[in-house]
Amino acid sequence: MSADEFDPFVERLFAQTPVMADAALFTAQLEQRLQRGSRVRFLALSLAGVLGGAVALRETMTADISMASRDGIVAGDVLGQGLQSASLNVQNSVQSSLDQFGLANLELGSMSGMQLFWIAAAALIVVASAGVMKLSQDA
Amino acid sequence: MTQALVDRHDVELVALAAAGGRREFGELVRRHGSAVRALLRRMGAQPSLADDVAQDAFIQAFQRCGEFRGEGTFAAWVKRIAARLYIKRVAKEARYIAEIETENAAPVVDHAGLVDLDEALKSLSEAERLCVSLCHGAGMAHPEIASALKLPLGTVKSHVKRGLDKLRARLQPESAQSVGGAQHVS
Repeated sequence: MSADEFDPFVERLFAQTPVMADAALFTAQLEQRLQRGSRVRFLALSLAGVLGGAVALRETMTADISMASRDGIVAGDVLGQGLQSASLNVQNSVQSSLDQFGLANLELGSMSGMQLFWIAAAALIVVASAGVMKLSQDA
Repeated sequence: MTQALVDRHDVELVALAAAGGRREFGELVRRHGSAVRALLRRMGAQPSLADDVAQDAFIQAFQRCGEFRGEGTFAAWVKRIAARLYIKRVAKEARYIAEIETENAAPVVDHAGLVDLDEALKSLSEAERLCVSLCHGAGMAHPEIASALKLPLGTVKSHVKRGLDKLRARLQPESAQSVGGAQHVS
């Protein structure tokens, strides 16, 4: 057999798959790993949803605190004040980013707490819908 | 009525798997799992490592099903993924340069009179075995192998050539002698 004939001969030998006694076990283990992966994804999405919901809830609470302080009631809630200042920081940083992109006229600070809440809620609904769609494809 | 999975073509199954079909992908694993595992063992991986890498390769293939264009076969595609994953694993262990002793044993023929490639591959050095398996088992071109193994192209070519010469000597001793003799004359 010449070298030209030997190369395809070796390729044919490589193409022959030996029978493996534990082939079924290998497939089962792999299916288990894939299943586990999708479960982790499901848990991660659920966790993200819960966290998102909690953030949205706190946003509404912050809006209430903001209104309360305008009425002259001193908010003794340190957590509430922290959230309010964090919210302002985020607003400022987003606003400065918008300035950089020439969208300075879009005033986030002018939005009321309720508007921000609805925007956040809409974003969460979109994310949750995407997650449900992905999970239904995986199932 | 839905078509049974066993009747479906690989390309159809890959398309369904790309949409998240785990059952369809399971069928692909059933069809090609042994081929991928065998290739990795032929490349020199121990059975447990071969199975580990094969599983990782299939999981990566499942995640990247959308990238499969059907230009080659699905089995060839997964084999290349597996081969690359194995190379990454062994690269960490810096095993390429480890040469194993070659033996001049009798031609490898099993009781049914069929040539035993797996036994014959054992007579190759680790580097030769890897290069021959990548070239003839995973269907990778020499430059591709050189890039994956980070070896000069000439080195890869000589590993493949020497490996094939050794395989020929093991699988067909008479023709190897005549080829060897002809080389001496010329």
